[in-house]
Amino acid sequence: MEDEFLNKKIDEVLQSTDGIKRAAPRPFLFTRLEARMQNERNVWNKLTSFVARPVVAFACICFVLIINAMVILLSNPSGNSLAPQGSELATADEYSQVSYNLYDFENSKP
Amino acid sequence: MIEETELIERLKKKDRTAFKNIVETWQDLVYNTAIGILQNAEDAEDVTQETFMQAFESVSSFKGESKFSTWLYRITVSKAMDHIRKKKRKKRFAFIQSLYGKNDQPVIDPPDFFHPGISMENKENAAVLFKAMEQLPPNQKTAFVFNKVEGLSYIEIGDVMKITESAVDALLHRAKANLKKILKDYYTALNKN
Repeated sequence: MEDEFLNKKIDEVLQSTDGIKRAAPRPFLFTRLEARMQNERNVWNKLTSFVARPVVAFACICFVLIINAMVILLSNPSGNSLAPQGSELATADEYSQVSYNLYDFENSKP
Repeated sequence: MIEETELIERLKKKDRTAFKNIVETWQDLVYNTAIGILQNAEDAEDVTQETFMQAFESVSSFKGESKFSTWLYRITVSKAMDHIRKKKRKKRFAFIQSLYGKNDQPVIDPPDFFHPGISMENKENAAVLFKAMEQLPPNQKTAFVFNKVEGLSYIEIGDVMKITESAVDALLHRAKANLKKILKDYYTALNKN
């Protein structure tokens, strides 16, 4: 009995669009359309809408991050410190590889 | 009354009067299809404008192999589907309310769209039907809207969707079967609460 009622209701719902009339837009659609087309022809509007796209914004952020990463990595490719290490200093002492500055040369005696 | 072909030729030359004539002749067709798919008056107006803008821009690609109305229907469906996709993308970033309650019981979402062309006595039932249509796959929904809202024949639907008449028949049969199931679940849940 309940199923019969349910099936009847479903059939009623499925037939509810019978005799439907076409929906019409608000008046003066063409005027609004023309205004929109004029607005979208503006170069600056085109540019802002292009930049505001999520894909473009995300690509720009990625590009900036990649450039930053490249600058950091290329400025110090080996990852070593520029300061001389202990073994290098010991070798320099042993072979007298001492760099003199201009002051030392001027004060040296023959 | 200016001939359709003459209007199209003038539109290809970007004639403003021809464009105005075309908009005024086919605006109801485009808007009614859009509102049937989108179930929102503002979105439907937006898509109607986009459809005519697209028609204006790409009328040179219209070769006259199909009817102009068929071509407009295709643009409308494509724009409406794009609109739905954009809306879904926006929703992903927003808070999405769960479709199910605490005990996995479907929450009864009351119908909120009332098509302006429906008679008074069918308003409530049609609102439930439109709500159920939202759950159909896109091609079934499109075929159902063309048949039940726009009143197109199977041949006309086939022309627009570029499928055979028997494929349209199968599509509508599946749509009705799915709608019956959705409606059965809806009324069963409604009776339980």
